[in-house]
Amino acid sequence: MMAALILDLGPWSWFILGLALLAAELAVPGMFLIWIGLAAIVVGGISLILWDLAFWSWQLQLVLFAILAIAITLAGRRYFDRPDNSSDEPLLNRRGESLVGRTATLKEPITNGRGRIRLDDTWWSVTGPDLAAGMTVRVAEWTGNELIVEPVA
Amino acid sequence: MLAGSDIVVIALVAFVVLVLFAGIKTVPQGYRYTVERFGRYTRTLDPGLNLIVPFIERVGSRMNVMEQVLDIPRQEVITKDNASVAADAVAFYQVLNPAQAAYQIANLEQAVQNLTMTNIRSVMGSMDLDELLSNRDIINERLLRVVDEAVHPWGIKVTRIEIKDIQPPADLVASMARQMKAEREKRAQILEAEGSRNAQILRAEGAKQAAVLQAEGEREAAFREAEARERLAEAEAKATQMVSVAIAAGDVNAINYFVAQKYTEAMAAIGTANNAKIVLMPMEASALIGSLGGIGALAREVFGEGGDAAAPATRRVTPPRSKPSTTGGTTGGMTGGTGASASSTGVPINPFDPTRTER
Repeated sequence: MMAALILDLGPWSWFILGLALLAAELAVPGMFLIWIGLAAIVVGGISLILWDLAFWSWQLQLVLFAILAIAITLAGRRYFDRPDNSSDEPLLNRRGESLVGRTATLKEPITNGRGRIRLDDTWWSVTGPDLAAGMTVRVAEWTGNELIVEPVA
Repeated sequence: MLAGSDIVVIALVAFVVLVLFAGIKTVPQGYRYTVERFGRYTRTLDPGLNLIVPFIERVGSRMNVMEQVLDIPRQEVITKDNASVAADAVAFYQVLNPAQAAYQIANLEQAVQNLTMTNIRSVMGSMDLDELLSNRDIINERLLRVVDEAVHPWGIKVTRIEIKDIQPPADLVASMARQMKAEREKRAQILEAEGSRNAQILRAEGAKQAAVLQAEGEREAAFREAEARERLAEAEAKATQMVSVAIAAGDVNAINYFVAQKYTEAMAAIGTANNAKIVLMPMEASALIGSLGGIGALAREVFGEGGDAAAPATRRVTPPRSKPSTTGGTTGGMTGGTGASASSTGVPINPFDPTRTER
């Protein structure tokens, strides 16, 4: 019955599958079904042209669908990773990086490479060359773990 | 019905879908996913569309890197001076290094909570109750310092710890309220006493100043009075001098005229007085005649001798004034009362002595 329905609808069954997948993606976003749905729609488009030809069997259509699904996913990832698609708040949720370039007063001297500054109403322990308390320092780098500071001339 | 190859094709499509499902990872903003390859951490996925290699890689943990609020439950704390208080707090922390937060610590939230609780105990236990209640900033800062240092290896940062509530036992609160009340009453009483003290001082000062001012006023008045008397004496002296000069330059009869006029004026005044009319009249009349005769002789004598001008002047001026003032005409009549009355007015009396003896 199912097979009969698909045969009756012809190439349009691919469009129906594709749109259903896109709708499912909208319902449960995850950037996963959208690529498969797009692949189904592309296969449907090709089927519209080639449907009556002998070699356009359903096996070939399925294989093409599988290949297209992978290809479109990779292409989509490449497209969405382009620089002009980057966030306009690149430092969002990057608390350490967002402090780089800020200046602060050293509240405790840096001895043995460790000191403390106060920024944004909280204390940060910093590393850098030995300096006296009260010096102004600039946050030079965030290592992923620590703030590295340098003295401001 | 289906050939083997058909089944392979169907299986292939199913496999591709599964691979895509396993390999496409979309990380939402505010999260980081750690990727483990064969169980070992390799990298962290940033927000956005990410692909991982299915079968060999899998997502390890999904770390929330937004700042988080953690309630620190209420607990009993014994202060340095053995007061038992209940305190609760709130802590804020943020994951800075998702990998460390995922793998260095098993139960991050519980760890931070317990660490904060124990440190609240140790920090607050090292302070007196009074300090505890008035130095929350210091407590917060000390707590933050200790806890932040401790969580550093876990890749998170505690941004702040705030003591929410410190509750001393009820009886302690009551006695603290009593203490405060007593303190305020003490201040009120002191202020009241100070006020009345100041008021009394001010009043006494006012009285003192008033007395001083009054005395000064009296002194000033006395000075002026003395001055007035001096001036009066001066004027009198000058007047007598001027009269004597005038007499020296003119006729002796002029004096007689003056004296006579003054005497008759005085007589008129006595005559108009109510009480002394009847008794005094005859006596005064005889005295007047005697005086006139005496003065005439006196003037003649003076001019005949050509003596100093001052002496006659005084003689002549004083009698008319003094005569009426002497109530008893008897004295004046007997010994030329002119001399006695002159002395009472403060005019020099010495010049009179010779005249009295001569007459």
